[in-house]
Amino acid sequence: MTEAVMTSRDRVLKMLSGEKVSPVPCWSGVGNVTTAGLDKLGYDFATVHHDAEMMAKAAMSTYEIYGFEVVTFPFDLCLEAEILGCEMNPYADTKELLYPTIKVKSKNTVEDLRAMAKDPSTATKGRLPQLKEVVKIIREKHGNDVAIASYVLGPFTLGGQIDELEPLLKNSFKKPEETAEYLDALADIIIVIGNELRNMGIDIITTREMGATTDVLSPRVFKKIIMPPLKKIAQSQTGPSVLHICGAVLPIIDMMVEAGFDALSIDSKTPMNEVRERVGDEVVICGNFNPFLALNNGEASDAYNMVAECIKSGVNSVHPGCDIWPSAKSENMEAMIRACREIRP
Amino acid sequence: MDQAKKDELEKKLAEGVVEFDDDEVKEASEEWVATGEDTYDAIFDGLVTGMEEVGRLFATQEYFVPEMLMAADSLYIGLDIMRPHMVPRDTGVKGTVVIGTVQGDVHDIGKNIVKMMFDVAGFQVFDLGRDVPLEDFLKKQLETNSDIVCLSAMMTTTMMGMPKVIEMIKEKNPTCKILIGGAPITDDVADKFGADGTANDATNALEEAIKMIVALKDIQKEASKN
Repeated sequence: MTEAVMTSRDRVLKMLSGEKVSPVPCWSGVGNVTTAGLDKLGYDFATVHHDAEMMAKAAMSTYEIYGFEVVTFPFDLCLEAEILGCEMNPYADTKELLYPTIKVKSKNTVEDLRAMAKDPSTATKGRLPQLKEVVKIIREKHGNDVAIASYVLGPFTLGGQIDELEPLLKNSFKKPEETAEYLDALADIIIVIGNELRNMGIDIITTREMGATTDVLSPRVFKKIIMPPLKKIAQSQTGPSVLHICGAVLPIIDMMVEAGFDALSIDSKTPMNEVRERVGDEVVICGNFNPFLALNNGEASDAYNMVAECIKSGVNSVHPGCDIWPSAKSENMEAMIRACREIRP
Repeated sequence: MDQAKKDELEKKLAEGVVEFDDDEVKEASEEWVATGEDTYDAIFDGLVTGMEEVGRLFATQEYFVPEMLMAADSLYIGLDIMRPHMVPRDTGVKGTVVIGTVQGDVHDIGKNIVKMMFDVAGFQVFDLGRDVPLEDFLKKQLETNSDIVCLSAMMTTTMMGMPKVIEMIKEKNPTCKILIGGAPITDDVADKFGADGTANDATNALEEAIKMIVALKDIQKEASKN
């Protein structure tokens, strides 16, 4: 297959398998819906989360408008928490565009979680049936032209969604064995949900363990209680997988590699040059420009230059360091894509 | 209480905070209070000195957020016991603070650390909590006529509410100082948003807050000499 006729799905999947793809793919396994896309569809952000057709169309809009090489959904971090019994707040009554958060926490015990992981009905709960519908709508429209991506939270981050974060943080230090047990039980839930996402036909799953960044936890605690459940999740993957942790992750980058995902996604706080020095050329790294500075704050030329710098620093694909804030300027989005097509490493 | 005993208890309080030893802090605080003496030095040269060391350990990445939270718990144990026994000082530095995490953001740990330092410094703190509707900051500011409003956001996706709050408040009350903080906040962003000050992470927030407390301590020492 020549690269000229490769679909963007081929390009992204090839990149994640470790092959060099030129020009570098431009995609994101985390939030990338834009206000421009929502406006074109006439959608209010708060209403797209619980409707398959709206979610599918909003998810496809960044690919359709800009040529961003992926369709990623959902847009919030509440999928697993809702399955576990939490209540989500979509901010329907707010003028501001906001990502949903958890309003009522389910506070599941380890025993609850163990039982739910064994219960076959868990894979049919919450918005999972809706997501299945979303995949169908996207494939009907675009076939295999574009990669479909979704994500799960890492156990520590999910723990902070379904219960209070402060005790979890303290217990990670004070009661590591108990916390490890809790995170292991959460990992089993995440695996059940991840498997269901694969069954639906989702190509790429990113595990987002952003709560366990070294801005928050010591590398020592990371090694002791975050690594074992992450490895378990990595081993359960049956398709392309990415691990995303935000913040300055250089102190744990070797462990992130060791966790065993196909690729790592890092944010702009972690210097890419140093990452390459540490992990070598074989590890697939997606990253790592600052989406707010490049796409919302600056001019189109800033976006172009920041993405160009990112490519030069040796990433395998251009991927924003965290969610694209929806109000990203159209001309900056276009400049990002242009830079990816024009700049060679 | 003689100086040697004071030094010993202050050291115990400081070490208790650094080692998150709640019992040690409780014991030393109660011992100090039992003497019937002003607890001012115990708080500032004991508890706050301990927290300064925690700030240093955090900055050098020996301590992380869990350690800082545990140290803060220990500090509050001492503060709760000793503050009712502190002789108030009239230094001209007093104030009211409204603090909260902006709507859409449910992270409040950084906010709580900053709040702690205002508590220690004797500010009257109105904590609106987390996920706070933007208009509520303005309402509370007007109601309390606070000198300072502190806004926190942990995520890029929520910090966009900040300039709106700043604009609302500055329009009604241009002298109110607005401090913003959180992981995505840089000096540039703070500047662009029209904030008066910033701390972009917990280390920075703690450092800034400690600087503020130390400055306050100096002012108070100066004032008590006169």
